[in-house]
Amino acid sequence: MAPLKSLQREFPIIDCNFQQFCASHGIYSVEDFLVHDLYSLVASAEQQSSSEELREGISQVISIIGSQHQPWSNGVELLGDAQKNKHVLPTGCEGIDMLLQGGLRVGHVTELVGPSPSGKTQVCLQAASNVAVKFMGVVMFLDTCNSFSPRRMACFINQHFNTPVEEVTQKGLKRVMSSILCQSVFDIFSLLDVLRQLELKLQFQVNTGDCKLRLLIIDSISSLITPILGGNGAHGHSLMIFTGFLLKKLAHEYNISVLVTNHMVCGEGGILKPALGESWKSIPHVRLLLSHDRRSNSYNISILKHPVMVSGRAASFTVYG
Amino acid sequence: MEVSSLPLSPSQRGKLIAAGYTTLSSLSSVSAPDLARDLNISEHEAIEILKVSSQSSAQTAWDMLYEEEFMTRITTSCADLDNILGGGISCKEVTEIGGVPGIGKTQLGIQLAVNVQIPIDYGGLGGKAVYIDTEGSFMVERVFQVAEACIEDMPYNYPQKDFQARKNKMQPENFLANIFYFRVCSYTEQIALINYLDKFVAENKDVKSVIVDSVTFHFRQDFDDLALRTRLLSGIALKLMKLAKKFSLAVVLLNQVTTKFNEGSYQLTLALGDSWSHACTNRIILYWNGNERYAYIDKSPSLQSASAAYSVTGKGIRDAASHCKRVRIM
Repeated sequence: MAPLKSLQREFPIIDCNFQQFCASHGIYSVEDFLVHDLYSLVASAEQQSSSEELREGISQVISIIGSQHQPWSNGVELLGDAQKNKHVLPTGCEGIDMLLQGGLRVGHVTELVGPSPSGKTQVCLQAASNVAVKFMGVVMFLDTCNSFSPRRMACFINQHFNTPVEEVTQKGLKRVMSSILCQSVFDIFSLLDVLRQLELKLQFQVNTGDCKLRLLIIDSISSLITPILGGNGAHGHSLMIFTGFLLKKLAHEYNISVLVTNHMVCGEGGILKPALGESWKSIPHVRLLLSHDRRSNSYNISILKHPVMVSGRAASFTVYG
Repeated sequence: MEVSSLPLSPSQRGKLIAAGYTTLSSLSSVSAPDLARDLNISEHEAIEILKVSSQSSAQTAWDMLYEEEFMTRITTSCADLDNILGGGISCKEVTEIGGVPGIGKTQLGIQLAVNVQIPIDYGGLGGKAVYIDTEGSFMVERVFQVAEACIEDMPYNYPQKDFQARKNKMQPENFLANIFYFRVCSYTEQIALINYLDKFVAENKDVKSVIVDSVTFHFRQDFDDLALRTRLLSGIALKLMKLAKKFSLAVVLLNQVTTKFNEGSYQLTLALGDSWSHACTNRIILYWNGNERYAYIDKSPSLQSASAAYSVTGKGIRDAASHCKRVRIM
């Protein structure tokens, strides 16, 4: 909590007089203000000569504190928000869309888990191309393993225009590809940097009513977190949880869908389990397990965790090209 | 506590939080002298803390597609192999090549170290190579042999009129001079070298490929703490990815195989475990099929799974001959 005098610039009511009065009660920062008994403070303010201004100052600080936390909302508001804003983004793979009753839900963090190679990047590219073409939305692809292939993306996009490849105009392709942004991140700090800047940009866009980002893909988040997880300090663990919360906040507040990929590690008894441990399990809303059947060249997907549907439901799909 | 997400030392973080700076917006509006006064640190240190939040930029897919058109690939000198790779090993990506001992991984590494130096007129990159040797299998005489054969074959692959004039400039010795060779003897040396590569490549701008032979060797024996090994390996993977992207290099990692007990049978898989599997962009597995050597693309975001035959000859890696016998040591 900042010291009281730093509020003086923005709120001139908190002047030296007020600060002196607070200092006489041992209040130097906003935190001290919070823990102090406000009734006794108001009572002693009444006894001062400039009681009006002091009381105004007290209520000003209280309102500043009140604006810092999220506003309370009730079930009706949440339902209205869900119906109006939280749509479903189809990924373009029929099997996945049928399994997820439509596709990736806005406001959810969806995790794709699978051994390597099981098609996680392909699903991400397919979903990105589908959202860019069908919804004219911006897709942000954060790439940690240099696996974003523009040529493959163009291939997926060309599938959507149901015309032969030669007829697809360069302009149309350019328009769609320009709404897919790709950035490489190679450590957790630069990821958090990017997410913070994204949040600032989205905040600004909400005010101007220009919010167009629909899908945020991080491929793969586990390669960023594995180097810092474990060891002596718990800082890596806290960074992982912080990243998870930041992603969930971005998804819910700015109505975007977040898709992350994770790899698998060997657990007890030789069975593969998703990486990143137990604490990460509660962060994504939806967890999907992917596997690749080489012989039939099809992919299998099953639900590990979903807020609404029962886990264990499975489907299979193929990827174009 | 958003300041906990900044890469600062624990003491700096503690001072920031104790003074009341927990959010980044509070840091963005404060000036360096004020911060220095509040935290009781020097102004220089305050400036460093404020500099930690910086700008970054994203690219659109369209720009990347445009750039990709102009990216040359490193040929492997085997036409079939180049075909399945879409032209060769691509820059800006980390390619992992693994296989049983004796299949030709080091030979492929040496061939790539030579082929990256093919001049641009002849379809190559005209760059230098960094060869990191962990096993000691780099034989200079063999590199000389491969370089000689490469120069000899060049006019056949890319006919140019004034080849004879250029030939004087292209001697095998020049090819050898353009390979930067590092020998590492422990895993700490390996990690230190990869950290140093950033500075090295920034100083030697024409390095276009980094070949690590093999990345597994120092991490397999005598590593008690497997969790530490996973952390170190993922850290290495990220640094190599960053290196590949930042300087547009082709990073090639050679890997060994191990056996895995899977569903009641023993299978050969690449070493270093499942967590290493996502550390590369492309993965190629080399295997024997009868008496022939084959390469199979196991993982790639843009290439189809396919396999191709190749052979190791006196000249280096070449196309598979119709009859090729596995060399048996009697």
